[in-house]
Amino acid sequence: MAETYPINIWINEERLEKLQQAGLADMAQEAFAGLKKLPVPTNEQQRDAVLQKFPMAKYDSATTKSIELLPRDAKDRIFDLVVEKKTLDVIDAFLASTI
Amino acid sequence: MTEVNNALSPHGGTLVDRVLGPAEGREKAKQARIKLPLEGSRATEIMSIAHGFFSPVKGFMGHKDVDSVCKDMRLASGYIWGIPIVFDISEGEIKEKGIKEGDTLLFTYQDQPFATLDLEEIFSYDRTLMAEKVYGTTEDKHPGVKRTYAYKDKFLGGDVTIINQPKINPPFDKYWYPPKVLRQKMAETGWERVVAHQTRNVPHTGHEWLMKGAWFASNADAILVSCVVGEKRAGDYIDEAIVLTHDELGKTGYFKEGTHLTSILLWDMRYAGPREAIFHAIVRKNLGCTHHMFGRDHAGVGSYYSPYAAHEIFEQVPDLGIGSVLTLEWWYCPVCGEVTYSGLCGHDKEQQGFSGTVIRSIIQDGVKPPRLIFRPEVFDLVMEAGDKYGFGSPFVTEEYLAKRNPVISVPPMEV
Repeated sequence: MAETYPINIWINEERLEKLQQAGLADMAQEAFAGLKKLPVPTNEQQRDAVLQKFPMAKYDSATTKSIELLPRDAKDRIFDLVVEKKTLDVIDAFLASTI
Repeated sequence: MTEVNNALSPHGGTLVDRVLGPAEGREKAKQARIKLPLEGSRATEIMSIAHGFFSPVKGFMGHKDVDSVCKDMRLASGYIWGIPIVFDISEGEIKEKGIKEGDTLLFTYQDQPFATLDLEEIFSYDRTLMAEKVYGTTEDKHPGVKRTYAYKDKFLGGDVTIINQPKINPPFDKYWYPPKVLRQKMAETGWERVVAHQTRNVPHTGHEWLMKGAWFASNADAILVSCVVGEKRAGDYIDEAIVLTHDELGKTGYFKEGTHLTSILLWDMRYAGPREAIFHAIVRKNLGCTHHMFGRDHAGVGSYYSPYAAHEIFEQVPDLGIGSVLTLEWWYCPVCGEVTYSGLCGHDKEQQGFSGTVIRSIIQDGVKPPRLIFRPEVFDLVMEAGDKYGFGSPFVTEEYLAKRNPVISVPPMEV
């Protein structure tokens, strides 16, 4: 299986409620010490496209092997796409919606 | 190469103190024929030089020192040194101002007389060679290399003197301890063993345990948190949040009173990995510390250095007179149910690593991290600092870069 580079969306109460309402609460995974995350996978090309569009974001190659520090509004859009489409396969749609 | 005792504390044996009082300062300023306005990071670098943080360096380096530091990681005098301290200037500006060797230059900052340079030497240096030797790469993606390539074509070498002492602005004023002051405070407090923690981050519990582990390992009386205050990039924590949250760990009892002190170091990180580790060790020795903690990726960036390059470098240099506490990571282990030391915890498969980057990402998402990972008092203060100093954000924004309160202010002075 090809390697994936997740974008971790950190789950607060508001996001958890939306996931529960959409029947997607099981998608959230334990991150650490009780904190939950929604890891939205990207492939290598998608990862590079995300990092290019959002230069403040960073691929944490040392610890978590995930894309971090995406602006909050970008993460909100990814999260909303997951809830709307009921799938984690939303990065192409996200990138297409990003100018 | 001259044989010198690198274990002397301060480095080189004498603490540099090149700060004049108002009357002497005015007299010194009168010797200057040419005025040169400074940008902020130059002014703060002069603060660090003149107050002795960089002892035995007394000014901007001349060609012999730069060449020796680049090629041999030593000053021309033989003392170990990691990073060239240089003042670059264009050939055009030299001609335009009529600057020549032997001049005394008056540096102004914030339109006020601030410091002088006794100009000994005007010289050129191969910037590609400098980058390759100091950073181990010539790629301009490396921020230190980028900085080096941006240097203008000439350098000025000579001793600096502060002739008009700036005021350190709140909230940094409480954390400004020049070496002379800090050494006196350590002596008065009875601290004989002090371990330094270098940081440019708001502390999560991984950092807290790094400090506590270093305290145990060095059998220290206290931990000196030395926060690097300098050039910032968008997305970094604002300086105010870093300094105040470290202090908060002491105020809220995560460190017992008398075991923890927060301070600032005015310095633009070069991300030179192992060479910057050497530089950090020397600066903290000058502050009076007996030990320095080095963790994973110390002063590194990207994948230019191996994760523990800063550990390995200390095997290649003579005794620097400051003990190195070399430490692995602390991680969260769900089996142990706590933040624990990776060198002791056997649950490698179950461990849940976290980093400063991840914590920033969580906070940026508007989520409060669990208290085992991030102290709630620290979280509250990060958000408060963002409101008070960061124009609504604890992270550096373009607005913060443009409008932030300066760390130092130079008072008016008539010359």
